[in-house]
Amino acid sequence: MSVAVPALPRHRPLTRWTALGVVGALFALLTLAAIGFGSTWIPLEAVANVLLGGGERTERLVVLNLRMPRVAAAAIAGGAIAFAGYLLQRITRNELASPGVLGVVDGAAFGVVLFMAVFSNEANALTVPVAWQPLAAAIGALVAITVVFVLSGRQASSAIRLLLFGIAVAAVCKALTTIFMLVGPIYQASQAARWLAGAVNAINWGEIQIMALCLVPTLLFAGALARNLPPADLDDVSAQGIGLNVPVYRILVFTAAALLTAIAVSFVGGVGFIGLIAPHLARLLVGRARLAGILMAMLLGAMMLMGADLIVRVAFTPLEVPAGTVTAIVGAPYFLFLLMRKDQANG
Amino acid sequence: MDEPSRIDIAELTLAYGSEVVLDALNLPVPAGRITVLAGPNGCGKSTLLRAMRRLHAPRSGYVMLDGRDIAGMGGKDLGRQIGLLAQSPSAPPDMTVEELVRLGRYPHQAMLQPWSPGDAEAVERAMAGTGVRELRRRRIGSLSGGQLQRAWIAMVLAQETGTICLDEPVNHLDMAHQIDCLELVTRLNREEGRTIVLVLHDLNLAARYADQLVFVHRGRVVERGTPARLMRADLIAQVFDVEAEIITDPVHGRPLCIPLGRSRPAETEAVPQPA
Repeated sequence: MSVAVPALPRHRPLTRWTALGVVGALFALLTLAAIGFGSTWIPLEAVANVLLGGGERTERLVVLNLRMPRVAAAAIAGGAIAFAGYLLQRITRNELASPGVLGVVDGAAFGVVLFMAVFSNEANALTVPVAWQPLAAAIGALVAITVVFVLSGRQASSAIRLLLFGIAVAAVCKALTTIFMLVGPIYQASQAARWLAGAVNAINWGEIQIMALCLVPTLLFAGALARNLPPADLDDVSAQGIGLNVPVYRILVFTAAALLTAIAVSFVGGVGFIGLIAPHLARLLVGRARLAGILMAMLLGAMMLMGADLIVRVAFTPLEVPAGTVTAIVGAPYFLFLLMRKDQANG
Repeated sequence: MDEPSRIDIAELTLAYGSEVVLDALNLPVPAGRITVLAGPNGCGKSTLLRAMRRLHAPRSGYVMLDGRDIAGMGGKDLGRQIGLLAQSPSAPPDMTVEELVRLGRYPHQAMLQPWSPGDAEAVERAMAGTGVRELRRRRIGSLSGGQLQRAWIAMVLAQETGTICLDEPVNHLDMAHQIDCLELVTRLNREEGRTIVLVLHDLNLAARYADQLVFVHRGRVVERGTPARLMRADLIAQVFDVEAEIITDPVHGRPLCIPLGRSRPAETEAVPQPA
């Protein structure tokens, strides 16, 4: 009956918050570096100076209008999708769950592509405000997760079934997205393709404002839900026995995760693997603690996307390689590693 | 038994799809007593136990708790009245025993109400009562079967409910731990007056610990009463398909069932009749 438990370190509150502090400091440092790096190097103290309101004109222009938006977008998208992954891994009690694997990322991406196909004119300009784009992503994400949920049927509590249907739904959404890019009136298909792979290069302040405005209420919703995560760690019968309405709670958590994913995908594209890795690493670093785990996952997720964007900027300039390709190159082997470890644990 | 009942089940019908599991079942659960549900595999006894805790919605009929229909009660409210130990409960292997036991306080906590000294005391009492205090920092995944079962019972105890339901609590335990577990349950009943409902497979354990023994067969209560009244060869043949001889346990004075063989040749499994 006893199961071999991996020798995880004990996560005392002090070490937990120390770890969070260290990662927070690294995050601040990476933010400055991500702004500093580019076609011209701006020293960190100059970046800090601009952020505090000083600096000369050209420096201000480069920092505030060219570099800051993509760093901010990477931070918001990475943090949001990491939180989504955290929620999904806890509620399914499976470390393989993530917005990407469950079809939510591709559902949101299909929503956006459909939106762009329907609401753009011959000049490839949107005929409706871009602010509607997150809504399209949210609808796509929610439809995808609903389909996964309904297909899983009465065994929706079985993580394996959810994952299998999620992978299937993701494949269908991907195919539909490709079809719409080929036959639909998206004239700059290559640009859409780059967005789909997860890119933060073409973002502006207006879009970041929209992301942030969507993020705040979603964070509050998800944060309030997270209070009930510990009882949901138990099997369904035990969780209901102590008074948690498991079916309703599960739907609410999936909704929150879909909305968080939609915020990330709507402007930044497919960055799915961050939603798998960041929460998993956070759990290794801070254990089962909820608040620290969520903050850690979000910080790590933000850093991963910022770091991936930094890598493509430094290594591939002047080519604009999507940051999502870097996260996928790192993320896919990580997924395989988790799969193999899981097999071992089960065998 | 004309004692006040804690739970009253009236005409309860419950089905999974077209398969009727409980068929217009009636059962009073007397307050402050140990009620044991027994019956062959698939007779509906576990479903009945879970229905008492509203884990299944009935097709018709009622489960009344102290005179109130549980269908209209809030989840946390019910969680403060009835504790349930699942048949094969599971928790993350890296959860500690204390974390698990603390979850028992969940139904007592309101949205913005922090952990109170009362909660901490309940957790301490529950861990002391089940002897898992020295295990509090141990991870769930590192416990032996007996330790694990005590940790789960501690979780249910921390709920501080007047009624506790346990679904086959001794299933995976060796003989010593079976006795440990059932003695613990008996103590909770005798010393604290809690109403206990147990599902037990072992008829002799059932007869030894039950105040009220209930034979469930094909989704109905065939007979209920004291073990002395229920442990009859003809009834056991009818419910369990087993030819048995009943003697009196020389130590406890309780009836003891000695199975002799199947009363009918091994045949079609008892299939619940569709309504």
